[in-house]
Amino acid sequence: MFDSASLQAGAWVTTTSLEVVLLALLVRRKAIPNYPFFTAYLVTAILQSVAIAMLRRATGMDKYVHWDLSWGTQAVVSIMRSLALVEVIRKVLAAYVGIWALAKRLLVPLGLAVLGYVLLFSHGMTEWVILNAVRGFELASAAVIVAMLLFARFYQLPLRRLPRALAVGFCLYSAVFVIDYSLLEKTVQQYGDLWNFLGIVTYMASLLVWIRAASQYLPAEDEVRTATIPPELYGKLSSEANLRLHLLNRHLMKLLHAEDRRP
Amino acid sequence: MSLAVMVFVLFAVLLIGLLSWALRPAKRWSNPAQDVFKLLSQPRHCMHIPHILHALQPEDTEFLKEDGQTELMHAVRRQRRRIALEYLNQLQEEFEMLLEVSRALAVMAPEVVTMQEMERWKLSLGFALNCTLLRLRLRCGLQPLEGFHLLSGMAIDMLRNLDAATSRIAEVAVGGVGLPGGGANESSDH
Repeated sequence: MFDSASLQAGAWVTTTSLEVVLLALLVRRKAIPNYPFFTAYLVTAILQSVAIAMLRRATGMDKYVHWDLSWGTQAVVSIMRSLALVEVIRKVLAAYVGIWALAKRLLVPLGLAVLGYVLLFSHGMTEWVILNAVRGFELASAAVIVAMLLFARFYQLPLRRLPRALAVGFCLYSAVFVIDYSLLEKTVQQYGDLWNFLGIVTYMASLLVWIRAASQYLPAEDEVRTATIPPELYGKLSSEANLRLHLLNRHLMKLLHAEDRRP
Repeated sequence: MSLAVMVFVLFAVLLIGLLSWALRPAKRWSNPAQDVFKLLSQPRHCMHIPHILHALQPEDTEFLKEDGQTELMHAVRRQRRRIALEYLNQLQEEFEMLLEVSRALAVMAPEVVTMQEMERWKLSLGFALNCTLLRLRLRCGLQPLEGFHLLSGMAIDMLRNLDAATSRIAEVAVGGVGLPGGGANESSDH
């Protein structure tokens, strides 16, 4: 039987290997110019894993120092991930000016509200404040991604494979993190290994989703092709829409005046 | 487990559920431009407004009272109010259809149509709310004057938005340059 430490170490190595595979795929598929922030996030995550592993091996630090170091550097990874998230949202919505303007006005307050709510109602010990902040950040990220996907569905926007996979991966990871952390919050020290392992498995699943999408990526996908109106229909559409609205308005006014005359 | 933690877990589970729902394939328009045009070309229920208005006039049924048929007059008025309610439903459907058209235009001509989606969302929510209130008032036999004022104002706003958008499209079409996908980029993120 494997002990939990070796299982975790194995998962750690697998995750880092998957990250490297994904990075190689992004290079090979020429996706980096189109996804610079996601690439930067991936590089940061790889560097974090490598640096911590090397430090642990070189200095023989104990698991608590390792824990602190992991969470300390996690802030950098989280910042990079939020930038990658913004990049994905931009990829999906920014080509549609009106929709993008609305999305910005809704998604930012939504994210801040969720983050604020989590921080306000996390009555943990002060040393867990970073973890509570991370939980808030993860929940806010998941909420923003879901809202973005709902926007895309509402407006029937085309969702390309890679941004879709990135959104799904980020969202699943964030949502499972919140469930995982919330359920094991009180016993996180007792079940620290299990908690860590669940997080790594979810992240691995996200990486596999991303790898699958990246392996099929073509740079041409990122050229936005909107469903354009044929020129001959423009004039017709314009006059027809105006006529319908004028009619609707005139009829409403008539109805209004009719009500005025009622006893 | 505290209530706050339970809320976090439930919210996260809800988000996963919403994620899987949002990823389901949506009903796609086979030919968006043609579909929008078809939607706009459909006959409108509001064409029957003169009949509805006439039926709502109290003097139209006053003669029944003069003939001593008060009960019948009330029954007829009730029936006509029911028809007015049905008409209101159709009016709401029509408004929603126009919103759908605006939404399709925002997707089809993003470089040309810098539509105020937020305004449209507000309008749509307001219209739905006022239609509900108006319906309630009609059902209670109250004067729905205020409601019609509001609905009219909203329709005017909606008209202004779509008018500006479609005029802009027409301008570009007449100019023959800068059609979506043709290089026009007068859009702004703000």
